[in-house]
Amino acid sequence: MQRKKTNIWPYLLITPAVLIIIAVVLVPALNAILMSFQSYDLRRPSSIGFVGLSNYIDVLQDKLFWASLWRTILWVVFGVGFQFVFGFILANFLNKSFRGRGVVRAVSLIPWVTPGVLIGLMWRWIYDGSYGVLNDLLMKVGLIHEPIAFLAQESTVMPSVILTIIWQGIPFFALMLLAGLQGVPGELYEAADIDGATGFQKLFRITIPAIKNTIFVTTLLRIIWVANSVDVIFNMTGGGPAYASQTLSVYVFNKANALNLGYSSTMSLLLTFLLLLVAIPYLKNMFANQEA
Amino acid sequence: MKRKKVLALTLALAMAVTSFAGCAKQPAASSSAAGSQAAGGEPVTITHWYWADSSDYSAKMKEIVEDFNKSNKSNITVKAEEYPWDGGAYSENLFNAVMGGGGPDTAAWKLTATPLFTANNLLANLDDYVAKWEKKDDIDQNIYNIMKQAGGSDKLYVMPWNIQVLYVYYRPSIFKKAGVEVPKTYEEFLEAIKKTTMDTNGDGKTDVYGFGMRGAKGGQEPWGSFIYGRGGSFENLTSPESVQGMQDFIDLYKNGYVPPTATQDGFNEIIANFKSGKTAMTIHHTGSSKGMVETFGDDVAAFPFPKGKGQWTSMGDTENVIFEASKNKDAAFEWVSYLAAGEGQEKWCKITGNVPVSKTVQELPEFKDDKFMKASIEGQSYAGIIPIKDTTTEWISTIWPNTVASALSGKESAADAMKTLQEGLYGKK
Amino acid sequence: MQHKRTPMQNFLLLYLPLFVMLLFLLFPFYWTFVTSIKPEAELYGSVVTYWPHNLTFESYRKLFVDFNFLKPMGNSFVVAIITTLITLTVSMLASYSFSRFRFAGRKAFMVLFLTNNMFPTVLLLIPLYAIMRSMGLLYTPASLVLSYATFTIPFSVWLLNGFINDLPLSLEEAAMVDGCNRAQAFTRIIFPVLVPCLVATGVYIFMTSWNEYTFAVMFTNERNRTIPVALKNLIGQLGVQWDLLTAGGIITIIPVCIMFFFAQKRLVEGLTAGAVKG
Repeated sequence: MQRKKTNIWPYLLITPAVLIIIAVVLVPALNAILMSFQSYDLRRPSSIGFVGLSNYIDVLQDKLFWASLWRTILWVVFGVGFQFVFGFILANFLNKSFRGRGVVRAVSLIPWVTPGVLIGLMWRWIYDGSYGVLNDLLMKVGLIHEPIAFLAQESTVMPSVILTIIWQGIPFFALMLLAGLQGVPGELYEAADIDGATGFQKLFRITIPAIKNTIFVTTLLRIIWVANSVDVIFNMTGGGPAYASQTLSVYVFNKANALNLGYSSTMSLLLTFLLLLVAIPYLKNMFANQEA
Repeated sequence: MKRKKVLALTLALAMAVTSFAGCAKQPAASSSAAGSQAAGGEPVTITHWYWADSSDYSAKMKEIVEDFNKSNKSNITVKAEEYPWDGGAYSENLFNAVMGGGGPDTAAWKLTATPLFTANNLLANLDDYVAKWEKKDDIDQNIYNIMKQAGGSDKLYVMPWNIQVLYVYYRPSIFKKAGVEVPKTYEEFLEAIKKTTMDTNGDGKTDVYGFGMRGAKGGQEPWGSFIYGRGGSFENLTSPESVQGMQDFIDLYKNGYVPPTATQDGFNEIIANFKSGKTAMTIHHTGSSKGMVETFGDDVAAFPFPKGKGQWTSMGDTENVIFEASKNKDAAFEWVSYLAAGEGQEKWCKITGNVPVSKTVQELPEFKDDKFMKASIEGQSYAGIIPIKDTTTEWISTIWPNTVASALSGKESAADAMKTLQEGLYGKK
Repeated sequence: MQHKRTPMQNFLLLYLPLFVMLLFLLFPFYWTFVTSIKPEAELYGSVVTYWPHNLTFESYRKLFVDFNFLKPMGNSFVVAIITTLITLTVSMLASYSFSRFRFAGRKAFMVLFLTNNMFPTVLLLIPLYAIMRSMGLLYTPASLVLSYATFTIPFSVWLLNGFINDLPLSLEEAAMVDGCNRAQAFTRIIFPVLVPCLVATGVYIFMTSWNEYTFAVMFTNERNRTIPVALKNLIGQLGVQWDLLTAGGIITIIPVCIMFFFAQKRLVEGLTAGAVKG
C-alpha cells in the first residue's frame, strides 16, 4: 500500500523519540564501547589506557563468565518461559466476564507494582531458613520435615530466585496479552463456534495467530529485560552463595560497583551481542511477515 | 494533527535549552558561590551527605545539623542530605556523583572507600586544617595514623568521627545451662561453641546453636578473629596458621555448631537468631546492644574476642571527608570538626552507641560505665582493620562471601579458599 | 467462548485455577502486610504467625507523621505521570511510523531501539550524571523524566508496534478509501482501537518509572526523592527496619492498584467500543 517515493512523514514521526534517546544515551553508550578496549579501572586511574582486545580475551578465559552465562540462560529460559505461560493463562481468564473482574484485574498487577527494593527483601524473608513462611507452610503440609535454607544452598538458590522472577513477571504478560486480545474480532469466535471448534482449536487457530505480533514482541522485550535484571537477585542473594546465583548481569553489576568499568563494559557488550543473536530470528520473522 | 506541532515545538525548545545549558557549565551544584573565607558575616552553605542506620539516627542527625547551624559563629548553614546505605553502595553513589562533577562538600565516610577517591584526587588534604585545630589532641594519634594508612600515604584525608569494636555477645542463661564459663582463650571459645549447641527438647534436632556465624557480606570481620586466633594474619592468608583458622570456621559449620543458613546470613539474620534464642553467641558491636537489652534485659552480656596464638578484632569505622571540589573548605572543616570533637560527637555516639574518638567524650560516665562499651574499649588495644587496598571493596562485597560459602559447603578446601582470598586482596603473584 | 457451561465446569475451569494463581500472586503481598503490623518480637518468634497476636499500626503512623512519606509519593507520582505522558505520545508516533510506513533505515532504527535497552545502566551512570549536570537538570524531577523516557521509549515503541501490527490494515484502508487522510484515519480509526494497548503500555511506563532506583538515587536530593530511594533509606547497616519498610511498600502499592482499577475499564474498549463499523 505504501508509495515508494520518499516521504518525510515517517522520519518526522520518529524524530522526537530518536532525539530524546540520542540526547541521553549516545555519549554514554559510545563511551562504554570505548571503555571495553581500555584498561579502565577507576581504582587505578593512572593505568587507564587502550589495551586492544585484552579485556575480551580475559573475559573469554574467565570461568566465572561462562558459569554466569549458563545461569543467565537458565534464568531467562525458565523465568520468561513460565512468566509467559502463566501470564497467557491469566490474560485469558481476565478476558472473560465474571463478577469482580475489575478488582481481580487490579490486584493481579500487585507483583509488578511492588517496588523492586521490596521484592528481593520480601522474598528473602519468605524463603528464610529460620523464620520463613515458606518453610513453615511446607512443614505444615508435611512435604518437608526440616526447614530448608533455600537461599543458602547452592542447589536450591537458583530455582528460588527464578520462582521470584516468575512471580514478578506474570502481570506484565497478563496485561500485555490482555490488551492484545481486545483487538481480536469477536466474529471469528462466533464463526468457529458455528463450525463446532473446541476450545483448544480456537486457541491455536484464532487466538494465538491473531495476537502473534504481540506475543513476539512481548517475549522478546521480556527476554531482554529479564536477562538484564539485577535487583531481584542482588537483593536476595547478591549472587551467592559461592556465585551460585550470579547471572551475567549481576556479574556486570558487581564488577561495575567495584569500578572495573573496562571489564564490565566488555562483559555487557558480549551480553548485548548474545541478546541480539537471540533477537535475530524474532526480527527476521517479524520483518518477513510485514513485507508479505 | 495539532498534537504533532505542539510536540515538535516542545522538542525544539527542549533542545535549545539543552544546548544553552551545555555551554554554561555551572559550578559544582552543591557549593554556593566563591568566597572561601567563611569567617565574618558572609553566609556560607555547605552540603553534607550521610546515611542513617535507623530512623532514630536519621532524626538525630537532623537535630545535630540544626544545632550546628544555630550555634556556629561563622554563619555557616549545613544542608544535610540523607542517602541510602544500600549495602555499601553509598560509597559508589557518592563516587559517581563526585566523578560526574557534582556531589556534596562533605560526606560521611567509610575508610574502605578511601583508596578509590584518593587515586582520583577527589579528597581534600586535611593536614593543615588539623594542625591549626585547637582540639586536635583530643583525638588519639593512633586514630589519625589509621586514617592515614587507609589513604596509602602519610597525608590525612579523612576526619575521624567514631568507631565500633566487635566483641562477642553471649547469653548467660544458656552458658549456665550448658555449664560453661566465659572463655578466656580461643580454644575455650571453640569449646564453648560446641557445648552451647544443644537439643533442648529432646527431638534429636539442634535447637540452640553455639555461634551465629556470619557467612554473607560483612562476615569477614568476625572471621578475621578466627584467623588471628590460630596465629594467622591478613598479611599472609595462606600461612598454615591462617589456613587452620579457616578450617576452624569450616568445621563449626560442617559439624552443625552454627545455623545451616550461615552461608547467607548477614547482619539481620545473626541478630535475629541471637534475639530469638536460636544462637548462644554472636559477634557484633555496640550498635546492636540497645536492641539486645530490650529483648533480654540482664540475660545478655559481652566479652572481648579471646586470645589464642594471636588476637584480633575488627574495628568498624565512620568518618567524614571534605571534597577537593568544595569551594568552602574552611566552613566544611568547621563542620566536620564539630562532629569529631564537639557537641556533634557526644550526641551521635550517645544514640548510636559507637565508641567516641574524642577523649573528652570517652570520659563521660554514660560511656565509661556501660558493660558493652567496656568490652569495646578493652578490645580497642588489639582491634584493627582489614588491609585497605584498592581491591578491598570488591574483596569484601563479592570475593569473600562467595569464596567462604564455597569452602563452607565443602566445594573448596580451606587451603584453596585461602589462596583465592589472598590473590583477591593482593593480586596474583 | 460462549459455551453454556455448568456451574461446576465454570468452577473447575475458571474459578479454581484463577484462585490458585491469585493465591500465588497475592500471598507475598499479604505477607508484606502482616509483617508491617507485627511487633518485632513476633517477627523472629519461634512460631510463624499468620495473623499477628498483637496488632500494631505504629509503623504507619511513623511513616506519615515522622517521615512525611507523602512527599516521596508525590514526587514519584509526578515523575511517573509526566514520563508516561511524554513517552506514550512520542512512542505512539514512532511506532505508527514503523508499522505503517516502509522507509530507508527503518529496520536499522528499530534494531537500534532494541539495543538501547540491552545495555546495563550502571555503566552509563557517570557520564549520564555529567550530562544531567551540564544541562542543569540535576536534582530536578526533569532529570528523572528524561532518563526514564530514554529507557521506556524503545520498549514502548516496540510494544505499540507489535499491537499496531496485529490490527488489520483493512480498517484504515477502508477509511482512506472513504476520503479520510492518513491523520484522520489514525485519529478516528486506529486511535480508538489502540486505547487498550495504550493503557497497557502506559502501565508499563508508569511502573518502570515508579520502581526505578539507580537513577533516582543519583539524580535526586532530599527535596525530590522518589519512593524507592525513600524505602531504601530504611535499610541501614544495622539491618532492615521491617515494620517501616513493609508499611511503606503497602502504602505505595495500594494507590497504584486503585488507579489501575479505574484504568482497566478502558482495557475492554477498543474493537468492541464501536470503532469498527464494517
